[in-house]
Amino acid sequence: MMGGDRVDVPAGIDPLDPAVAVLVLAAVLGLGSVATVVLRRLVAAPSAGRGGTTVGTAAAPLREARWLADQQVITTERPDRATWILAPAAYLGLAVAALAVVPLSAGVAVADVRTGIVVFGAAEALAIVVIFLHGWSPNSPFALVSAYRFVAVALSYELLSMFVLIAAAIPAGSLSIGAIVDSQAGLWNVVRQPLGLPLWLVVSWGVTFSGPLAVVDSADLAGGGGVEDSGLQRLAWAGARAAMLVVFAAAGAAVFLGGWQGPVLPGGAWMAVKTAAVLVVLVAGDVYLARMSAQRFVRLAWAVLLPLAFLDLLIGGVGSL
Amino acid sequence: MIDIAFVVFSVAAVISGYLVFRVDSMIRASFLLLASFLNVGAVLVLLLAEYLGTALLFMMTVEMVVMALFMVMFMMNPAGLNPMSMVHQPRVAAAAGLVAAAGIWAVALLADFPDAPVVDADQAVRDLGFELLGESMLVFESAGVTLLATMVCAVVLSAARGRFGDGYEGSVAPPLEPGGDHRPDDDLVDDDAGGHHHDHGGR
Repeated sequence: MMGGDRVDVPAGIDPLDPAVAVLVLAAVLGLGSVATVVLRRLVAAPSAGRGGTTVGTAAAPLREARWLADQQVITTERPDRATWILAPAAYLGLAVAALAVVPLSAGVAVADVRTGIVVFGAAEALAIVVIFLHGWSPNSPFALVSAYRFVAVALSYELLSMFVLIAAAIPAGSLSIGAIVDSQAGLWNVVRQPLGLPLWLVVSWGVTFSGPLAVVDSADLAGGGGVEDSGLQRLAWAGARAAMLVVFAAAGAAVFLGGWQGPVLPGGAWMAVKTAAVLVVLVAGDVYLARMSAQRFVRLAWAVLLPLAFLDLLIGGVGSL
Repeated sequence: MIDIAFVVFSVAAVISGYLVFRVDSMIRASFLLLASFLNVGAVLVLLLAEYLGTALLFMMTVEMVVMALFMVMFMMNPAGLNPMSMVHQPRVAAAAGLVAAAGIWAVALLADFPDAPVVDADQAVRDLGFELLGESMLVFESAGVTLLATMVCAVVLSAARGRFGDGYEGSVAPPLEPGGDHRPDDDLVDDDAGGHHHDHGGR
């Protein structure tokens, strides 16, 4: 597989018919978002009533969504209206684009393109732009501060993401996520490259600005990037963020936990179980881990996590010699 | 279908490229430029340069975030929502633009392009890899190391403190009027949150 030999790239999976693809993507993201809400409730239950963690009734998120949809949308003085309104749509669009390259079961993927991890990485990078613009466009100081602070954090986690994905692609000999799943038939990447999944969790918290990296819509900036959002805008942003969390959990399951592979159960069920498992960890981190200051995270990312990502790359490379 | 997509992406690339010079804010200009690049990336994907196209999307996004946002952060108007002119030296720029456009059109119309459709996209990527790490390795690695050194230097220059302590250590505030006395050092900004506070002896 090394040197100038011709690498046999798997032919890949045929893309789904567009009409089917839309339904599949909507179903995965819709069910996933509901699952996120349910899991969050379960995970947060033990600490209910302590440390500011509140657990409402099961219907509370729905009620809140309905309430938000009813509210008047207020605006600020001279905002950049187009980017402000389009940011949640763009964020959701990027989640959809990223999900499209993740195989959902054996032979089922919306578009398992050969450049899968590059497309996924591009969606992730564009999410930085979208989150920045969402904070920048209301023309409001706290939102702007959160946007800049997020960019500092984002540039630090972005490199980690690329290195762990490339490390996973080396044994597969392909940039396709389907091929990465196939390459884990013998041994999952979580064992073969133990640093990959923990670093991926950091990246996932970063992209969805939750848990230790909740530096965007956070309480320490009076609501930060979302401080001026109201009504439907706030609802759309929260929905898009839940969808992004699901996509990163699914990608983590595919790249590190062997995706749809497993005994007895059909592939799709394994993928759902593994995605839910990653989702539980992500949501638990969101509930239980304290927010890091952006400055401390940047230092940690460049001084500790980035060398660990290099090590992961080395393990991936040496392991496939 | 592909022809329609090609026209749509090309026109969008040209229009967003034009708008870069029509908007009045650094942020808008930067991200319109990014939009233009993204459309070019889509055109590359249509031309079956799948890897180059998607890599362009990825690289240009990260590059615009670094370039645009760092640029704006160091400006006096970090919000970028206040109107400001996005052009300077318009005559020189127009002349340079016309010359460059003439050159590109001349190449497009007069050059004899090889008619070699990509049959094996993987082979194209492989050739690119051998080119980057073979014949052209010295050029690309020199450029890469130079860029890396530039990034490290920019970070070092902008860091408020380093391993030898506060960035303001030993620096003296300039006089308020020409030829005047230097101000006492407690006039200097001390943003060292780690806090080694000097005793200023009741000055």
